[in-house]
Order: sequence, then structure tokens, then C-alpha cells
Amino acid sequence: MISIKNVTKKFPSVTALNDVSLEIKDKEFFGLLGPNGAGKSTLMNLMIGYIGADAGDIYIDEEKISQHNLAVRKQIGFVPQSIALYDDATAFENLEIFGSLFGIRKNLLRAVIAENLNRVQLYERRKDKVKNFSGGMKRRLNIAASLLHNPKVLLCDEPTVGVDPQSRNAIFDYLVKLNEEGKTIIYTTHYMEEAERLCSRIAIIDSGKIISSGTLDELLQLLPYEQTILINKNKTTESKLELFKSFGKLLNEQEKYELKPFDHLKLSDFFKAMEEHGIDYNSIDLHKPTLEALFLHLTGRRLRD
Amino acid sequence: MKTIFHLIKKDYKLFWLDKPAVSLTFLVPVVLIYIFGSIFGRPDTAPTGIRIGFVNNSNNKIAKKLESVLDTTKTFKLVKNYTDDKGNVIKFDTNSIKDYVIKGNISAALVLPEDAFTDTSTSFKIKFYYDPKNQMEMQIIEGLLQQTVMMQMPGIFMASMQHKAKEYLGEQKGIMFNKKIASLVSQYYGVDTSKILNWTNFNFDEDTSDADTSKKTANVFKDILQLDKEQLVGKEVNNPNATRSVGGWAMMFLLFALTGASTSLFDENKSGVILRILSSPVSRTDILWSKYLYNISLGVIQLLVLFFMGYLLFNIDIFSNFFNLMLMIIAAASACTAFGMLIAAVSKTSAQANGLGTFIILVMSAIGGAWFPTFILPPFIQALSKGTLVYWSVEGFLDVLWRGANTIEILPYVGVLLGMSAVINIFSIIRFKKGNIF
Ligand SMILES: Nc1ncnc2c1ncn2[C@@H]1O[C@H](COP(=O)(O)OP(=O)(O)OP(=O)(O)O)[C@@H](O)[C@H]1O
Ligand SMILES: [Mg+2]
Repeated sequence: MISIKNVTKKFPSVTALNDVSLEIKDKEFFGLLGPNGAGKSTLMNLMIGYIGADAGDIYIDEEKISQHNLAVRKQIGFVPQSIALYDDATAFENLEIFGSLFGIRKNLLRAVIAENLNRVQLYERRKDKVKNFSGGMKRRLNIAASLLHNPKVLLCDEPTVGVDPQSRNAIFDYLVKLNEEGKTIIYTTHYMEEAERLCSRIAIIDSGKIISSGTLDELLQLLPYEQTILINKNKTTESKLELFKSFGKLLNEQEKYELKPFDHLKLSDFFKAMEEHGIDYNSIDLHKPTLEALFLHLTGRRLRD
Repeated sequence: MKTIFHLIKKDYKLFWLDKPAVSLTFLVPVVLIYIFGSIFGRPDTAPTGIRIGFVNNSNNKIAKKLESVLDTTKTFKLVKNYTDDKGNVIKFDTNSIKDYVIKGNISAALVLPEDAFTDTSTSFKIKFYYDPKNQMEMQIIEGLLQQTVMMQMPGIFMASMQHKAKEYLGEQKGIMFNKKIASLVSQYYGVDTSKILNWTNFNFDEDTSDADTSKKTANVFKDILQLDKEQLVGKEVNNPNATRSVGGWAMMFLLFALTGASTSLFDENKSGVILRILSSPVSRTDILWSKYLYNISLGVIQLLVLFFMGYLLFNIDIFSNFFNLMLMIIAAASACTAFGMLIAAVSKTSAQANGLGTFIILVMSAIGGAWFPTFILPPFIQALSKGTLVYWSVEGFLDVLWRGANTIEILPYVGVLLGMSAVINIFSIIRFKKGNIF
């Protein structure tokens, strides 16, 4: 278990973390969702003891993490936000360098490297220089380099930035698998889709403060309404405004109508009525509550500006 | 055409934003031009106060005269005494001055032997001991010395003629000859006969200050002046020129290599590799130590390779005094490493570090003696030279290779270099701790 207790971190021009407290349980896939500059990386840097906090403490299984506690770092694998690899060295050489720092014996290290390269589908490319890798390959190697010492906890700081959808899915699958195998994963992102898809629990961070945390369902329940039905504006729909109003509260927004349905509404009834009145399904969109909406609701701003 | 114009404009804009590039383009050359200009360009900066050893064993008046002339010229500063272990000031004799040159305390010494000029001499004997570890310096000293001595030639010439006349005509006839000439001269020119006869009291300075005259006399009086040169140090050196310059050039490239190696910290930090390394059981101190030891060892290897190339290509003898060469190599490598780390510690980016590094390395090489001997620099720059690690390294290497200096003799160089390293390192560590480099 990782306990973050009342952590504050100030930089000369900004308070990056302001009295942050979180608990992350073993084997959890924990998401830290927040916009640029929210303090996600700063929190990660504190969790590996790269920097020290101005106030508060972080513990992993009762052991305090600090800049001076080097031993505790063996329990943690860290995937930096940037691609932290030597460009001019090969994939294999990179892993040799970083693995050796954990004191893994040479023979064992070779086997471990081969296994980890295999798991991210880079074994065939082990003798290629990193600078010749695609963005997605670099990202996968960036993760593999953090797993050589088989850590209990894996911290991933936006591990999919700048990656095509296919590679991104491969990375997701791999992380989910690692989690299933028993690793605790802490994952930062500013993509709400990623947090929704991967994380069993999520904390939303903004301007150095945790503004909300819980499971996805718990978080979404914080939204004052559950559903919105979006209706395109066209000749047919414009002539049926009374019909829509019979199902809920209709708001005339700029591009679309937004229908906030009454509590008892059954979607089947609604769609049946639409069919009867000749309204095309394509003009209608069900808008589910999202973390994005929650963030907007809590902060008045969007996650990604 | 317009496109090209915009592209050019873009390049100027980017150039201007890259301050290290701007400083390398303008500031560095300006400073170097100033340094070179002040050496070669300004006529009023002819070397002054060059220290040469001086022993006068002769009682002859001309010898005395020469001593007092040399004493008063600005060009030379005669070193006539030394202080022994107990602090006593002792006057040099021929042996002790030679020893002084051999030990490298002074590059040249002038000895006027007992028989420099006797009553019967037809030529003036001067003994010149020298250590050409620094060829340019020696040439200049020799040139200036000859010039100064030659100015005294008319006096020597006259006395010498007198002696020659005596020798050929016999004592009595000689005196008669002199008297006749003297009365003849006094008859025509109205000069007091006794003055003419007393050649050795002739005031040599009166009309010999003209440089042209002394140059012309130089050839005429060649055999009257017996300048007996004896090289005391470096006779057995295989390739004097290469031996002199190898240390300086090696130092400059060592500085470049080690500054580059230190600034790699910036690149490692930027890519996040340092962050990754620090997420493993490694401390910042470990990183600094590893960089430091890596740089020193790289420096030692580089210097060994360069000196070995000197051996292969120029037959520079690096093996007969290898232990002391190694001591100097380690001291120089540690000082250069400290320098590189300092540059990294005071810079914010790798571009800044490289710009600053290049600037200081070139200036230090110029004034520290890596390119040319420091004695030709104006005195105030010479004073600055001694503050550079290049100076102490170059001098140390020269002592080891040229004179085969032993461990005790190179201790000052090694000591200064290690002392510099220590001071610089302490400063860098404080900077590293305060700064946000990584
Ligand atoms: N070393 C530092 N010195 C000064 N300020 C810093 C430093 N590191 C971070 N900050 C500031 O702290 C705040 C939080 O930064 P942080 O990198 O933690 O954000 P983030 O949530 O990771 O953002 P992103 O999604 O862009 O990576 C920012 O305002 C940032 O400018
Ligand atoms: Mg970040």
C-alpha cells in the first residue's frame, strides 16, 4: 500500500502540490487524471524520491520514501514522462545499463532483458539503436526499462504521449496484464478515456489539489445529472420541439438541442417515439456522463484546453 | 528570391537567439585578437625585465662597465644572488649559476670569466649558459643580449686594437705608436692627449646608442667578441620542438574533451535519463562521483594516447621519466575535470556550457602557454597566466619531458593543480547542490 500524507511541494514560482493525501492499495490500477501543469509528474517524482517534499510524507508499506532512502526504490518501477533512453545505444544496451543499476547479476540480467523485450515485442529489434525506433517502439522500450527489477509497484507518467492508436492499445493491454499479474500500477494521464478504460480508481488533480477521487462510478455520480440526449438541428427536428419537451427539459444550445430527460424516462419509449415521427437515429446522440464533464463541473474548465 | 531572403532572415534570428553561438562568433575572437595583438602588434611592449643569471668574475673595467650597463637596462633583470635552504642570500659563482639553470629556475645565465678581458686580450670572452626549453624565449634573450653587448663594442674594439698593436710592435713601440696617434689626433681635433690614451676610460655610451651603428659593428667585431654558448639542458632531447609543444596542445584538447564530457549531464538530464537513473538505487552524489572519476580516467587515457602519439610520430621520449609524467598527467586530468564540472555547474544549458567552456579554454590556452611561451605576453597578462591551470600543466609537462625533472621538482606543479581541483570542486559541489541541473 502506498500512503501519501498531506504532501506539499513548492517551486519558486508555483505551489505544485498543495496538501495532497491519497491511499493506493496493493494491486490497484490507480489513475491520476489532470490537465497540464496539475502536478502529476511532481507527485510521481516525490514517489520515487527524486525530489523531496516541503511538507508531508509518502510511505510504501510503512517504509518512508525520501531522497536518501535508496533501498526502497527497488520496490518501484518508474516510467518517466519523457523517453528516458540513450538514443545512440541499442535497445539491449539500454536495458543492460539500467538493469545493472539495480545490481542484477549479468547472466540473470540477460535473461530478464530478453523476457522483457519479448513482452513488448521488441526482441527482434534488440540490436537496433533506439534513435531508429518509431515513437511507439520507444514508448514500449521506455516501459520495459522500468520493469527489469520486477518491481511491486509501477509508476507510469503519461506513458502513451505521442503514440498511434495501435501502439497505444498494445501498451494498454500490456499494463492491464501486468496489473492482473499482481503489480500495483499508478498511471497519470490527461486523457479521460485512458483513465476510464484502465483505472479501477481515479483521483482528479488540478492546480496541485486532489479535487475528487474514487471509482469511476463513484466519480460520475457526483455529476448532477446522468444523461443528456443530444439532438442535431435540422428541419425535421426543428418541427418536433414539442415532442422532445414531452420527454424532458430541452435546452437550445448553439449547435444542438440538449435534452435532459425526466427521471422516469425509458430510452426504449423515447426511441420508439422518434421512429414513429420519422426522426433519423443519426440525428440523435446519447451523451453519457464522463470524467470530462465532471472535471468541467468541478473546475469550470475543460481537461484539455 | 523572396523565399531565400526569408530563409536568411530566419537564420539570423535563430543565430541571435543562440547566445553562445553569438559569443563564439564575436566575443571569443575579439578577446583572442586582443591577446595576440598585445603580444605582436604593439611596439611599446617589447619584453622587459627578463631574468637572466649573471656572474662577473673579472676585475676588468670593460667587464664592470658591461655589468653596470646590463644592470640599468630595462630589458634584463640580472639575478646575481640566490637564497639557500637556511635563508642566507648567497652570491652566485659559475657552478651555482649553472646549477640554477639546470634546475630550471632561470633560462639563461651570463658569466664573465676571470679572463674576460685582460691587459693582453684581443677579444672579449663571455660565457653564455642556457636552457632552450623555450626556443622563442631563448632566441629573444640571445638577440637582446648581443644587441646590448654590441653597444659596448667600440670600447672593446679600441682596447683590443691597443692590445694588438702592443703585441705586434712590442711594448715600447706600442706606447710610442699610441702616443703618436694620440698627439696627431689631439693636434687635429683639439682633444686632450691623455684622454685619448686612456682608451679604457672612454665613455662608450656617448655615440653608440644608435641601433644602426651597433648592427654594423656586429659583423666587424664578430671575432673580437667571443660569445661562448653552452646548452645546459635538453641536449639529449630527441625532438626539441615537438617536446616543447606536445604538452600545450594536449592540454587544450583535454579541456575540450572533458568539458564536453561534463556537459553531457545536461543532455542526460534533458532526456530524462538522469530521472530514470535516480529512480533506481542511485544517489546524486553517486552520479557526480561517477562523472568525476569517468572524466579523470578519460583525461588520463587521452593524455597517454596523445603523448604516446608524440612518441611514435616525433620520437618524444616519454618513457625515461614515465613515473613523473604519469603524476603530471593525473594532476592535469583532475584539474581539467574540475574545470569541466565547474563549467557544467555554473551553466543552465548545454549550449551555454559549451559556449562558456570554449571561450575560457581558448583564452586560458592563449595566456597559459599552450600556444606560445608566456614570457612574450605583457606583464599583467603574465600575472594572469599563473592563475590558469594550463600554465601549471604546460610548465609541469615541459619540466618532466625537457629536463627530466624528478618527483620533488614537479611537486609544485602537481600541488598547484591538485589544489586548484580541490577548490574548484568544492565550489562546483555547492553550485550543484543549489542549482537545478538535475
Ligand atoms: N523543477 C521545477 N521547477 C519549477 N517549477 C516546476 C518544476 N517542476 C514542475 N514545476 C511546476 O510545477 C507545476 C506542476 O508541474 P508538473 O510537471 O507536476 O505537472 P503535470 O501535471 O505533470 O503536467 P503535464 O501534464 O504537462 O506533464 C507546473 O506549474 C510546473 O511549471
Ligand atoms: Mg507531467
